Amino acid sequence: MTTTPLTPYVVETVGLTKRFGDRTVVGDVALRVPRGVAFGYLGPNGAGKTTLIRMLLGLTPASSGSMSLLGFPLPHGRADALARVGAIVEEPRFHGHLTGRENLEIVAAVRGPHAYPLIDGALDRVGLSARAGDRVKTYSLGMRQRLGIARCLLADPQLLILDEPMNGLDPAGIQEFRGFVRSFVEEGRTIVLSSHLLDEVEKTCDHVAIVDQGRIVVQGSIDELRGVDGLHLVLEVDDTARARGLLAADRAVGLVADDGESLRVTLLDPAVVSDLNRRLVESGIAVRRLEPQQATLEQRFLEVTTRLENAA
Amino acid sequence: MTAYALPAPRMMGADFLKLRRRRGLVAVLAMLTVGAVTITYGTIEIMHLVDGTTHGPAGGVRHLGHGVWVLSALGAVAAAIVGSFASAGDLDAGVYRELVVTGRSRLALYLARIPAGFAFLLPFVAAGYALAAGASVVFAGSNPAPDTRLLVVTGLWTVLQVAFYYLLAVGISSLVGRSYTVGIVLAWRLALTPILATISALGIVRELVPGVALQSLAPAGLGDSIRQGPVIPMSLAATAAVLVVWAGVALAAGGRRDTTRDA
Repeated sequence: MTTTPLTPYVVETVGLTKRFGDRTVVGDVALRVPRGVAFGYLGPNGAGKTTLIRMLLGLTPASSGSMSLLGFPLPHGRADALARVGAIVEEPRFHGHLTGRENLEIVAAVRGPHAYPLIDGALDRVGLSARAGDRVKTYSLGMRQRLGIARCLLADPQLLILDEPMNGLDPAGIQEFRGFVRSFVEEGRTIVLSSHLLDEVEKTCDHVAIVDQGRIVVQGSIDELRGVDGLHLVLEVDDTARARGLLAADRAVGLVADDGESLRVTLLDPAVVSDLNRRLVESGIAVRRLEPQQATLEQRFLEVTTRLENAA
Repeated sequence: MTAYALPAPRMMGADFLKLRRRRGLVAVLAMLTVGAVTITYGTIEIMHLVDGTTHGPAGGVRHLGHGVWVLSALGAVAAAIVGSFASAGDLDAGVYRELVVTGRSRLALYLARIPAGFAFLLPFVAAGYALAAGASVVFAGSNPAPDTRLLVVTGLWTVLQVAFYYLLAVGISSLVGRSYTVGIVLAWRLALTPILATISALGIVRELVPGVALQSLAPAGLGDSIRQGPVIPMSLAATAAVLVVWAGVALAAGGRRDTTRDA
């Protein structure tokens, strides 16, 4: 096995594009996934998430652009890269007439002799040791997902690519899956998790790229994305109109919205909160409430997609 | 070609496992080979025991030919079924992409199926032939019994026929999928080949039909008992070339499809 280059990004794409006829499914994607994080690839259904993953894994060729996995350029370095990558695309599929263990043995045979000793540990880790001798067609969806994870572990992966892994799982299964992801990150592995579930990505991932209509519209850490437009404040004062005028004239204030009872203010510079409060009070405006608010990823997602819809 | 592009022995073992663990396939294969031969010789021998003056013994050279005719015809059916499972089983189960994402070359995945299918199919054919050969000797009675050389040559010829149709099925199945393959191979082997062989107007073109080439290799010692239409004499080199080209083209086309398809 070739030594994996130590690059800061485990996935890097430049201008990656996939077209089916005249239709561009993935358009000019520049994606950078940092090493050792859980990275959410977030977008609505049909946004091109699975197609991007299929290109990265060599399941379908790219129309144009370049990409690398674990520092190996693709498709030339595909074998070296994928030797340390585990992946579940859409739903994990197995030979139903074989047992869980036999299905893993088949993949171990393909991966190489180093994978065989990992089978028992992988089954144990996902809690399937007791059912490893049963035919997979008797497994529940959750068990198949866990067996899919076990199959990924046969690569002792530096990178796991999981495409919509929570689909169809019950709340307990989702909780369990989230636990797997976090434990893998703690071991220094990188997880790329594609999903249309905002809440899931927010709870599970450290970094995120939001994709829409085949294009990445924003990417960064979850914290960066929540506060990328500055600090959000909720302000309640005794004279809303005067306060609004005063705030609107301030260069440090990006946006002031009035919902009737309170003002929602976005500060471009979070350091000016206390100055703002002082100026309001010195202007004779009584401040009843001044509360910083953390924007959720959902708000950011809606902002970004709304902006795109308005621009279209 | 790097070592990673070649199938490892364990990959062949894995493909063998996928076939061996299909109980229905094992049962069908056993019926088409061992079962068919048992029924053939059993029926003839029972008829002989019931009415020995009208029906001769089940053994002898002539009935070896009949047994091999049954085995090679149904062996082609078995070859088509096993070849289609071996070739398209991963794709049908949705597992093919799971194997591709390991980074192993698609060509290696494809090539591993060939020896695995042989290892699964040919023991059944060999067992069926062993039964036929044994019955031909044991039940020979007043009929001339086949000698060892004839038994060996006939056995090899039977295996060659089944192996050829297996290779054809592997290639075709990668191209058109499992469900169509059995129909295509059987239509070709059981219907079109005898028809083409009897159209004398085709002349030398008939030699390009693999069934005709296989028939030209039939052991002379079996006489007319295994004839399926006119025997068109062909040189050994021409016969080998026809079989190699047919199998090679089918496998190459199937391999090309497998290595370029969206997984």
